[in-house]
Amino acid sequence: MSTYKLYYFNVRGRGEVARLIFAAADQKYEDIRYEREEWVSHKSEMPLGQMPVLEYNGVKLPQSAAINRFLANQFHLAGKDNFDQAKVDAVVDTINDMISKYRPIRMEQDEAKQKELTKTFLADELPKHLQNLEGLGKLYGSGGSFFVGNNLTWADLYFYDIAQHILELDENIFNNYPWLKENRQQVEKQPKIAEYLKNRPKTSH
Amino acid sequence: MPSYKLTYFNGRGRAEISRLIFAAAGQKYEDIRIEREQWPALKPKTPLGQMPVLEVDGVELPQSAAIARFLAKQFHLAGKDNLEQAEVDAVIDTISDINTAWPASSSDEALKKKFLTEDLAKHLQNLETLGKLYGKGGHFFVGNQLTWADLRFYTFGQTCIEAAPDCLNNFSWLEQNRAEVEKQPKIAEYLKNRPKTSF
Repeated sequence: MSTYKLYYFNVRGRGEVARLIFAAADQKYEDIRYEREEWVSHKSEMPLGQMPVLEYNGVKLPQSAAINRFLANQFHLAGKDNFDQAKVDAVVDTINDMISKYRPIRMEQDEAKQKELTKTFLADELPKHLQNLEGLGKLYGSGGSFFVGNNLTWADLYFYDIAQHILELDENIFNNYPWLKENRQQVEKQPKIAEYLKNRPKTSH
Repeated sequence: MPSYKLTYFNGRGRAEISRLIFAAAGQKYEDIRIEREQWPALKPKTPLGQMPVLEVDGVELPQSAAIARFLAKQFHLAGKDNLEQAEVDAVIDTISDINTAWPASSSDEALKKKFLTEDLAKHLQNLETLGKLYGKGGHFFVGNQLTWADLRFYTFGQTCIEAAPDCLNNFSWLEQNRAEVEKQPKIAEYLKNRPKTSF
């Protein structure tokens, strides 16, 4: 019997995609959530002094993307063969390219500056990333609503999670991207995902 | 037998890891190198308007990491099972984190210097930690055999050393790792014969 422990903060952040994968796979795991003050005493227990960390049968694995891909592969949510898995990885990398442009803006302390940077991001940066993602969905999605091969993969779960942060910036953003809108709706409709979304802790980010 | 076509600029950059994987595997492929002037015409024909792109039996795949991982898995250079592949991915991601943190394209020389003299070392320390955690006591990052994590660190190491020749002086495990990669016969052959480019 394999054991899975996920260590992260009590937020969605970089841990939520793993939780979505566990939920989609209906796989039990220990969902360990450290508050900031608790984390200090556990930091040295983690390979790189960071979280999330997955502990699988006693082996600790850092890096959220490596964790997510590992879990997806364990539970057949990664793509049906090596080439489909590569298409999934390409979608994931493209989502990363998008969100990596936003993260520095989110860290900006000056409120006025943050507002300005966010406006620029929404107008000048975000559209091409969303167009790229729609492009990949249409290229690899076999005519369906999922990113790759007409089946749910972790690319869909990752987009679902990241899109939530984008929607907080502009709740109407996907009205211009019908394929992406439909993709998220298909994810939400999956019974195990719907159940998980209904019951998960509500956190600030 | 699939046919492989890799398209990139005439440089190492984001394609060299894939070229090293092909070399380590002894696998033939079309190594297409586009000059800067040719790129604008080609750009709209690529899935994301970017390179590298790998074409496998006519289907295009963008994103350098996705390409490299696909090739590594094709040629059994990705790790022997799902957990080892994840350990390899963790090393790859840790190298990516260094690139993200490195203000390489900044015009602020003081900022770049600060990164090289103060921050780089702790990132390299993280890589040594993973090598010792997953390397089963050997010189390769994961499981005592060559994987694309070693090839990726090899290419990254070259970038590091070009920016700061002494960057690996305090990291004998990492130095040894690169030496082991260079000794692999097919890699040694490839390194000897590959085009010399500015990036």
